Amino acid sequence: MNKKEENEKGGVKGWIDGDETAHYMLRRISALRSTLLVPPLHRVPLRLGNVIEIFGPSPSAKTQILIQVAINCVLPKEWNGVRYGGFDHSVLFLDLDCRFDISRFSQMLTHRIMEGNAIGDCDKTLYDLCMQRFLYARCSNSFEFLQTLKSLHYRLKREKDHGVSVQLLLIDSIGAFHWVDRASMFLSLKEHNRKKLFLQSVSEAVVQDIKKLLQVHPMLVIATKSVIFGNTYSTASEEVNGCSRNVTRSPQHIQYREYMPSVWQSFVTHRILLRRSDDQPVINNSENSSLYVLEWLLPRIGLPDKIIVKDNGVFVDS
Amino acid sequence: MAPLKSMEKEYPLIDSHFQSFCASHAIFSLEDFLLYDLHSLIASADNHSSSITFKQGIDQLLSVIDTQLPPLMNGLQLLEDAECNKRLLPTGFKGIDALLGGGLRAGQLTELVGPSSSGKTQACLTSASTVAKNGGSVIYFDTGNSFSPQHIAHLVGQTSGYVIGNQAEPGPLQKVMERIICYSVFDIYQMFDVLQQLKINLKSKIVEPDRRVQLLIVDSISSLITPILGGSGPQGHALMISAGYLLKKLADEHNIAVLVTNHMVAGEGGTSKPALGESWKSVPHIRLLLSREYGSNVCNVSTLKHPSVVCLRHALWFVFGKKKGLKLSFYC
Repeated sequence: MNKKEENEKGGVKGWIDGDETAHYMLRRISALRSTLLVPPLHRVPLRLGNVIEIFGPSPSAKTQILIQVAINCVLPKEWNGVRYGGFDHSVLFLDLDCRFDISRFSQMLTHRIMEGNAIGDCDKTLYDLCMQRFLYARCSNSFEFLQTLKSLHYRLKREKDHGVSVQLLLIDSIGAFHWVDRASMFLSLKEHNRKKLFLQSVSEAVVQDIKKLLQVHPMLVIATKSVIFGNTYSTASEEVNGCSRNVTRSPQHIQYREYMPSVWQSFVTHRILLRRSDDQPVINNSENSSLYVLEWLLPRIGLPDKIIVKDNGVFVDS
Repeated sequence: MAPLKSMEKEYPLIDSHFQSFCASHAIFSLEDFLLYDLHSLIASADNHSSSITFKQGIDQLLSVIDTQLPPLMNGLQLLEDAECNKRLLPTGFKGIDALLGGGLRAGQLTELVGPSSSGKTQACLTSASTVAKNGGSVIYFDTGNSFSPQHIAHLVGQTSGYVIGNQAEPGPLQKVMERIICYSVFDIYQMFDVLQQLKINLKSKIVEPDRRVQLLIVDSISSLITPILGGSGPQGHALMISAGYLLKKLADEHNIAVLVTNHMVAGEGGTSKPALGESWKSVPHIRLLLSREYGSNVCNVSTLKHPSVVCLRHALWFVFGKKKGLKLSFYC
């Protein structure tokens, strides 16, 4: 009896004392999942398991940013004495728009390798290594997308056995099948009433599959989303607090209608708006470039970044 | 996708016992299986007496799904495929070729946007004649009765000096003209019909390399889609997007270059914008804007969207005149 009482007492005390301190827990977790700074999205530190949505009206440089992030991921930290500062992991690109151009990826990768190299030529072994780390799949409807997601677990496991681990999942245009799914008359052979729309079922299945995938293979997910409804302008002059410069033009707040189902909206942890800049870039002698404005909406950072897209890459213009 | 019943013969693990277990979760076909949450299915299988056979059945379904998909490609394989199969097709229009970096690329959907009489049909006919002359087959979807065989014969004859042979012995001009197949389509369902038939033909036939279809032109796709857009339902937009995916899939699998034309509508503030709306913007790979001043001979082309070209570029060239000149200027 006494021993049982003692056990109970120890149990209650132990329960009050807790398992570990907050400091210890923070240390443990940050060792498991360290934060990443991913240029050109480096304003906000990211972790594996985050889901970032980049949206903006076409043409904005959404796919270009995905390519730049992919290149940063496949490059090693250091190669032949040159620091590239990459994450040294593989990338999986799911092309739902079916518009990806591999020659642009190859061009940007070659430029990046040549920049780092003292001689200025492209190291073939490094180039081949990086290209092989870029994995690609394309889907032309929602069912193919679900098929790919369901079979990804086994495919990624096979790749892992070969020593290749995927750290980045890029989805080009998550809303690509929106109209087709909305109009879909797919009826399963159920007898009773269908409670959910097909669009809803597909989105739930997609989010479930990605969540399960992230549990086994922790990855950073970046998805682009295009605007499919025309925008409504609402001009609002912004009060610029604490800024010494005078703002000559009142920036227009453009509202874009959200069309993804709420299950996807609550799955997304970070949101970025990307649009073409009104300013014209300074025309250099030999370089072609375009300017875009990148704005973090979730977490809300008041200062937008200027993104410059050149032949050799996508950079933040400071 | 097949219902589970039909898979029983080929995969004995999917027997009637497993099928009734799936039916209890309202899964009757592979599509239902894709929409269902896998983990709850496995958890429910655990509760049954024959859980091992059920789990084997689930694994069997997953492997069927896996085999239906193409394998993951890596960057090197993609690049190799792009270099070997996805060739550039010159259009014959120096201005457009300069902007495209050599010509229309096989596997990509190129869109020409412009107001009426800006040279879109001219560009389509010239591309058709150039590709046919270089040995490839062309499929031309004509939606507005603007296809003119005389004009094509004139274009071919102009640059290569072919003349029409007599009935007994078809001359080289005849051979070139035979390579261009023109379909008159007046609504989008007709176009879907023809495209599906084309898909079946391309999959089954093995054609010699010089008679392969290299170019598919739809002049103009906006006149097929605009009548069905509008209204409160999503069907119009869904048809438009499906047409885009079908064209891109044909382009990619059979290494065909697809060229479509679009017209302009009024936008905000009195400017014009391309028709077909926001959703269409993400369908073509490359978008080019054509314009021509009224009464002038000079045609203006600029890039609206290109996967590799970083800034907008302009090209000017003279058409309809005797002299064909080219002036390139870059605007960013």
